[in-house]
Amino acid sequence: MKAMIQYGVAILALTMGIGGAQALTLEEVKSNGYIQGATANEVPYGYMKEDGSAAGIGPDVAIAVLKRMGIEEVNWTVTPFGTLIPGLKARRFAFAAAEQNISPERCKQVSFTEPNSSYGEGLLVKKGNPKKLTTYADIAKDPSLKVAVVSGANNIDFLRAVGVKDDQIVIIQANADAPATVQSRVDAYAATELTVSKLAEGGQGVEQVKPFTDPVVEGKPVRNYGGFAFRLEDKELRDAFNKELVEFRKTEDYKKILMSYGLSEESIKAAAAKNVADLCAGK
Amino acid sequence: MTWTQYLAPLLKGAQVTVMISLASITFGAILAFAAGIARTSSNRLLSGIAFVYIALFRGTPLLVQLFWFYYALPLVGISFDPITTGIMTLSLLTGAFGAEVVRGALLAVPHTQLEAARALNFSKSYTLWHISMPQAIIEMMPAFGNLAIQNLKDTALVSLISIADLTFQAQSMRNITLDSATVYTLTLVGYFIIALCLMLIIRFIEMKLRRGPAFPRSAHT
Repeated sequence: MKAMIQYGVAILALTMGIGGAQALTLEEVKSNGYIQGATANEVPYGYMKEDGSAAGIGPDVAIAVLKRMGIEEVNWTVTPFGTLIPGLKARRFAFAAAEQNISPERCKQVSFTEPNSSYGEGLLVKKGNPKKLTTYADIAKDPSLKVAVVSGANNIDFLRAVGVKDDQIVIIQANADAPATVQSRVDAYAATELTVSKLAEGGQGVEQVKPFTDPVVEGKPVRNYGGFAFRLEDKELRDAFNKELVEFRKTEDYKKILMSYGLSEESIKAAAAKNVADLCAGK
Repeated sequence: MTWTQYLAPLLKGAQVTVMISLASITFGAILAFAAGIARTSSNRLLSGIAFVYIALFRGTPLLVQLFWFYYALPLVGISFDPITTGIMTLSLLTGAFGAEVVRGALLAVPHTQLEAARALNFSKSYTLWHISMPQAIIEMMPAFGNLAIQNLKDTALVSLISIADLTFQAQSMRNITLDSATVYTLTLVGYFIIALCLMLIIRFIEMKLRRGPAFPRSAHT
């Protein structure tokens, strides 16, 4: 038995000894001829179409920006939302294009580009809105109500901030689970405005809360700013992408992509008005 | 979209599922024999390594193993692509369970036969491959059948490390169409058909083994 433990320790030590990896550079990507991108399964921010190709606000803009950088091919991976950052850190892909909200916590883990989109919050409820919900704070008022959120999404922070207790929150794995969950197990599903509107369009027996008031956290209504995430050590690649993104944001093509997915002109302007440094600093 | 339009992506996913399942059953069987035989070996080092391997992989959940190989191992600089990670993890798990089947079947060969073999001055490896194994392998087949089907169903977990298998395609379809009932029903039917085929293959191998000596040439040498 003692010998066995020694062997076990030796194998583990060997495993740990093999060192970390190098940063990925733009040159390397160009010589490879392709880059690996990831998105979560969330219509309309990023998703996989029936034919296996990626679509959505994040992937479409990323493809256009990369083309401007001279990178024609993107190998897309679709992964659950909560594994985007772990997968990025594990070098499973070079960047994430899922319109993740640029938050100070996430900025410590990954390096974001300038915002690509901005979006408000929303609630999906049973048809007819039987609990008469109009904002997240309504859920906090009645402790018997339950609300669902997707694992790893930041809507949970807004819910907590307005006073919703953890035992009222049900974590689900994917947006596609939301309509069935709302119909059977919870009173509402909290997600971004666009996600909820897409789900309400396709789902039966559910609807989007309208009018909806964005939750107020620390005195101001919350708004999300979605960006592309790169690894912290791949600074050069992130900077090159960021430069092209900022240029691309000025074009009509850019507006066309975002508006085709239901974003309003105001949302597009709001995204361009913010910068990533402020968002990471929590301003 | 109607249900017939779901079939193309689901079939594409089913191909990946079959590929991963067959590959990991094959590698798993090799590991099972290696570790199972090592466990019955009198060499304490070999037997010890096999013991640690079997204990580790039987004693931890497959999902966590997958995540460990996929998200944790790359942090120390060792990274395999998703398909390799999936096949490797499933093979290791199936091999660990299979090793106990191999060991059990080898131990079930009456000890008197081994004594007789020793009396005839047969070497250890000759005894293993020509006396014990031909009898044991037939006894392993029903348990291997179980493991193969369990392996097939376990492949559904690889969808969580971004492999586009049947379950992954089902989730994608559901994400676009929100039609959970149809998509999941078709997915269940898909797995069931693959499982039926696996059962038939294993039955066929078992029948072949039962009909004749497992190692025909051994009867004459």
